[in-house]
Amino acid sequence: MSAPLPKRIIKETERLQSEPVPGISAQPHDDNARYFDVIVEGPGGSCYEGGVFQLELFLPDDYPMCPPRIRFLTRIYHPNIDRLGRICLDVLKNNWSPALQIRTILLSIQALLGAPNPEDPLNEAVAKQWKENQPEAIKTAREWTELYAKKK
Amino acid sequence: MSQDGDASEKSALPTALAAHEDARELVRLLQCTQCSRPFRNPVTLPCGNSICKECLPEAHQREHISYPDLPGRRQGFQCPFEDCGAEHPASDCNIDVTLAKIMESITEVVAKHRSVLESMPELLEEQVMWDEVMSSQPSSEKPQVHQSVGGRLIATYTLAAQGVLNHSTDVTFADAAEQEKAIDIAVLQEVLETTQREVDCQVCYNLMLDPVTTFCGHTLCRKCLARVLDHSLHCPVCRRGLAIPPSLLRQPSNKTLVNLLNGLCPDVVAARAEAVEQEERGSEGNANVSLFVCTLGFPNQPTFLRIFEPRYRLMLRRCLEGSRQFGMLMYNRYGEPQGDLGHVHFYQYGTMLQIVHAQMLADGTSLIETRGLYRFRVKSHAVLDGYSVGDVERIDDVNLAEEERIEAEETSLPPPTEEGDITGQINRMSTQELLALGQEFIVRMRGRSANWLQQRVLDIHGQPSEDAALFPYWFASVLPISEEEKYKLLGTRTVRERLKITATWIRRIETQRW
Repeated sequence: MSAPLPKRIIKETERLQSEPVPGISAQPHDDNARYFDVIVEGPGGSCYEGGVFQLELFLPDDYPMCPPRIRFLTRIYHPNIDRLGRICLDVLKNNWSPALQIRTILLSIQALLGAPNPEDPLNEAVAKQWKENQPEAIKTAREWTELYAKKK
Repeated sequence: MSQDGDASEKSALPTALAAHEDARELVRLLQCTQCSRPFRNPVTLPCGNSICKECLPEAHQREHISYPDLPGRRQGFQCPFEDCGAEHPASDCNIDVTLAKIMESITEVVAKHRSVLESMPELLEEQVMWDEVMSSQPSSEKPQVHQSVGGRLIATYTLAAQGVLNHSTDVTFADAAEQEKAIDIAVLQEVLETTQREVDCQVCYNLMLDPVTTFCGHTLCRKCLARVLDHSLHCPVCRRGLAIPPSLLRQPSNKTLVNLLNGLCPDVVAARAEAVEQEERGSEGNANVSLFVCTLGFPNQPTFLRIFEPRYRLMLRRCLEGSRQFGMLMYNRYGEPQGDLGHVHFYQYGTMLQIVHAQMLADGTSLIETRGLYRFRVKSHAVLDGYSVGDVERIDDVNLAEEERIEAEETSLPPPTEEGDITGQINRMSTQELLALGQEFIVRMRGRSANWLQQRVLDIHGQPSEDAALFPYWFASVLPISEEEKYKLLGTRTVRERLKITATWIRRIETQRW
């Protein structure tokens, strides 16, 4: 037995459908309205361009007081995303604010794809490569995007 | 239109103000009390009153303050509102973002309608176009007659914007045509539509309920702001540090917004308040008891708690606003199955605690003193904003006749055959003997200066209870044995059963089997 869905989650979900963000979609599960299948398209001009990345997003009980839990399901070569798909992003942690929302968080993630930050790494090996040989790192990221993030 | 209507009284009425009939009251809601114009760059002061930024009194150097010496706090001004009069630090008075956006929308709607009405005069009768507004000054001054354009609302608002309509002045309108009324209704409708998103709280996405504006100028429902402060002492919108006492008890509501919402949509405000109450009660059927999964509590015994987790701060606040009671459950650390509930993270029997004292500390955590009321069993449970709520049934002892019957039955059994059969022996003792066993044990342990019977323990838990029904609770509260063992008392149905449990503890301690 669980408490009914807060109005906030209902409204956020409605607005995600009625005013969709280009290149981003979030679809709640029929049997669990707090669990979303997310698709983020790699931003144009980045090494993830053309990639369609799947993520899972879960709104914990105390959302929006606590941030959504979100991770990549599609493999990605990125200094701030580890092998389990976990994302190093300040607004998903200490800089979360209840005035943020699913939409803004997904936009932040898309922006993170456009601007990898090897100075604050989650994936040390990728970050190292990114700092030492950026062209090579970008090439690998493109290859991985081709390999794992292309619609079959 | 009455001429003696008091704005503040009128706006507190539960019926919505009407676009045409209450045009004067509606415009007054938006007028700065200082300059009488519609708010321009409104600032909501720490006292909850709003004022144009330009109308703020000149700041002076504040003296005799050294803490917290933050930028801007050295400058201050005397609050111009009669009901306040306090000195506000300049840094605490910033543009009220919500009110500013509302004024922006309204200005646009008014400008749009004015231009439409002016550019298409042929579509409208002249008396509709030109509304005669007469301001009736309360003084002996001669009433002034003004002419303005397009319906009562727009006409009155325009007069206010021109600075010729005093905040406290009432007006009478010339006889109205039906089209004029329609214009007023259309204008108000458009204002409501364009401002709707502005009056939604950014945390709950509902209409702001009891809006409170932070010093940085951001407005949330009082309850939402309190919840935010449970987690962080920063404004959720701009992340500025919030020097607001976490309880928000003394932080006044934004009076202008409260009056606006009550004036425009009292029905929605009332429905919202009702819905919040419903949510806090726990909306699923009878799941209306807040459950704190933490430790053991016993009836008639005190339990002291420090509340620091955000979700339990919220629970505590709700409890303090309501019954001041919550259910205490013990954490099920071994994952033992709990009857119908199956594998849950708590033990199914708990104690209802009554909050006796609650002291909120400066960091937002609280110290509370509670007293156990009665035992209960959780029948079903749910999660509400991160903490558990449940439907519980009270656990009481059987009646005295049944109590006596059980004692008679057990004490008349033949003596146990084995010598070391402690359970068998305890089973055959009379209830009075079981109580005496406990009381004598306490006397003996005191003689040995057992540290669990030190004075400070007795100061908290009192002397051993003379009441056989309560003695085991007192005993369990002071005796240093495992919580899981003490928990056995909570599901008992007879006094005798509880005393048998305490007798078993004593026998085991005496035979040093622990």
